[in-house]
Amino acid sequence: MARVEFRNVRKQFDDQNKQTFTAVAGSDFVINDKEFVVFVGPSGCGKTTSLRMIAGLEQQTSGDIVIGERIVNNLHPKDRDIAMVFQDYALYPHMTIRENLSFGLKNLKKPKAYIEQKVQEAASILGLDDMLERKPRELSGGQRQRVALGRAIVRDPQVFLFDEPLSNLDAKLRIQMRVELGELHKRLGATIVYVTHDQVEAMTLGERIVVMNKGVIQQVASPTELYANPRNMFVAGFIGSPAMNFIDARVEEERIRIDGAEFVLSQDAAEGLKSYNGREIILGIRPEHIYGEDFAPGVSTEHQMQAHIKVVEHLGSENLVYFRIGSRTVTAKVHPETKAYSNLSKQFIFDLNKARYFDPATEERIDW
Amino acid sequence: MTTIAPNRVRSSAGRLWREYGWAYLFILAPVLLFLVFTLYPVVSALIMSFQQYNIMNSTWIGFDNYERLFQDATFWKSMRNTVIFTVCTVPVNIIITFVLSYLIYQMKTKWQTFFKATLYLPAVASGVTISIVWLAIFDPTNVGLLNRFLEWFGLDPVIWLGQSKTALFSLILMNWLGSHGAGIILYLASMGGVPKSLYEAADIDHASGWTKFTRITWPLLKPTTLYLLVTGVITSFQVFISVYMMTQGGPNFATTTIAYLIYQTAFQFYEFGLASAQSFVLAFLIILVSVIQFKYFSSDVEY
Repeated sequence: MARVEFRNVRKQFDDQNKQTFTAVAGSDFVINDKEFVVFVGPSGCGKTTSLRMIAGLEQQTSGDIVIGERIVNNLHPKDRDIAMVFQDYALYPHMTIRENLSFGLKNLKKPKAYIEQKVQEAASILGLDDMLERKPRELSGGQRQRVALGRAIVRDPQVFLFDEPLSNLDAKLRIQMRVELGELHKRLGATIVYVTHDQVEAMTLGERIVVMNKGVIQQVASPTELYANPRNMFVAGFIGSPAMNFIDARVEEERIRIDGAEFVLSQDAAEGLKSYNGREIILGIRPEHIYGEDFAPGVSTEHQMQAHIKVVEHLGSENLVYFRIGSRTVTAKVHPETKAYSNLSKQFIFDLNKARYFDPATEERIDW
Repeated sequence: MTTIAPNRVRSSAGRLWREYGWAYLFILAPVLLFLVFTLYPVVSALIMSFQQYNIMNSTWIGFDNYERLFQDATFWKSMRNTVIFTVCTVPVNIIITFVLSYLIYQMKTKWQTFFKATLYLPAVASGVTISIVWLAIFDPTNVGLLNRFLEWFGLDPVIWLGQSKTALFSLILMNWLGSHGAGIILYLASMGGVPKSLYEAADIDHASGWTKFTRITWPLLKPTTLYLLVTGVITSFQVFISVYMMTQGGPNFATTTIAYLIYQTAFQFYEFGLASAQSFVLAFLIILVSVIQFKYFSSDVEY
C-alpha cells in the first residue's frame, strides 16, 4: 500500500466556446498509507476530476501527483498500480464474472493457478462464489457492485479508487454496502480514495474527509472535526443533515443581538468577537443544539427566544421544527416529547456553547 | 372524490366501432397494401411454381419445375456464382466497413461528419448509375480507368468484363469498392454506444490497444456485425442490377447469378412456373443461411 500526495495540482478544461474552466484549483494534500479518505462536495466541485487524475485518466494541467515514492505525472493508468471502481461499475458485459475478475491478471500474464486462487479469494470475500459463471446482466445492482469491488481486490493494488460506487443502489442496499466497504477496508488495510456527493457516506466511511467546492479544497479533517469545527460556512452547511442553521446577528459589547433578542456571550466568545463589536456576524448553530423550553435536560436555559412554529416534521425518534428568525428559516431537531405544532408560539433554548460564528464577508469561521 | 358514472349498455359492435373504429381504419391501408403487393404475389408464385404457367390456361405439374431446375446445369452454375460472390464480398465488405468506421471514430466530430456524409453518398445514387460509372472504369480499351492504371505499371490492358476468368472478379471488385456508408453509420453508432468507462477500466486493467480491440470493441460490436452479415448475405444472394447492367450474365454464364437467372427464365424465356420455383429455392436458401448465422453468431450483449 502507499501514500498519495497532490502538490499544487491544477486542472483546467477548455469548453466548446474555448472558455477555460478550472475544475481543480491548486490542490495540496497528503493521503497517508492505509488511510480511507473521502472526497465530498456538490456536483462539479472537482472531486471526481481529482480521483481521475490520481488514476491517470485525466492529465493535470500543472503540479505533481505522487503515489508511493514515485511522481506519476506521465505514467499510464496501468503503470500507476491502482485499481478503480467506477460509478457505473464498468463491468465487461460480454464476459462472465470469472472473466471480469481475471481480466486484469491475465493481461499481467500471471500464472493460471495464481489467477484462479485470487479470483476464488475475492469471490469468497464478496460472496460471489455461486455467480462466477454468470454474466453481469444476470446479477442485481448490489451483486454487480461486488464484482466491481472484486475486480479491484484481485489486483492487490497500492491504492484503491472509488468513484461514487454506491450512487446507483437503492437506499437500503447503500447502507448495507457502506458497512461492507468499511469492513473491507479494515480487512485489506488498503489506501482508499473514495468520491461521493453524499455527506452521510463521507461521514460514515472516511477516516478523513476532503470537502471541495468549485475546484477548491475547503477543509481536510476527520468527520468529527469537520462537524464540530467547520472552517467556513460552506463546510458547516454541507456537512450534517439537517444542515447547520445560519442566523444573522450583531455583536454589541459582550452580547449578541438576534432579531430583537439579546444573548450574553461567554467570556471566551466575548473576547473572540471583540473586533466585531458593532458589526454583523453570522451565528451558526446545529439543529440539535436548539431545544424546546419544555424538554431541554441538562442545558442552560440562559439563551432563550420566542419563535412562531411554521411546520413540524415527526420522524419518530425526533421531531424537526421549522420557524423563522429574521429572514432565515431555522430548523430545530428536538426530542419527540417536546410539545410542538404548526402556528404555536414557543420558547426555544439555544446552546450557544456549541455555536460557531462566521464573518459574513469572507464566510470564514471566526476563531479565537 | 370522483364518481364513475355507470356505462350505458349498448351493442358491443357499436361500442367497438366507437372505441377502435379510426384505429382499424388507419391499420386497414397498410394491411391492404401488404395483402395486394406482398402476400398475394408470394402465394401466387408458390402456386405457379407447381404449374406449367400460361396466362390463359395453367396446368398443375406438381414438383416437375423443381426437378427440372435441379437437373439444370445453368442453375447450378448460377448457384456457384452467387455463393462465390457472397463469400468473396460479404466478409471483405464487413472488414472494410469496420476498419473505416474505426478510423473515422478516432477523428474529431467535424471530420467524422464529413467522412460519414462522403462515404454514404454512393448509397443515395442508383445502382444503374453506379454500374454505368463502373462500365467506364472497366472499359476493355486503354481508355478504361483500370487499364490506364495497369498501363502505368507497364501491364497489358485486360478485358475485365468480357472474359470468363475476370468477369465475376470484376463484379466482386466493384462491390468491394462500392458503398459502405450504411454499415459505417451503424458501426459508428454502436461504437459510440460502448461506455467509455469500459475502456478506462481496461486501461487500468493493463489491457494493450490490441487487447482492448479484440476483447472489448469487437465483441461488443457483434450485434451490429451480425446484422451487417445477415443483411449483406441476403443482398448479395439477390445481386442483380450490376449483372444486368454490365455483363448480362456472361460471358458463358460466368456472371449469371440466381437472381439474374430468375429474371432470364421469367422475362426472356417466359417460363414463369420454373422462375417461381427458382425464386422459392433462393428464398429457402436465404432463410436457411440467415438461421445458421443467427444460431452461430447471435450475441446477448447488454450494456
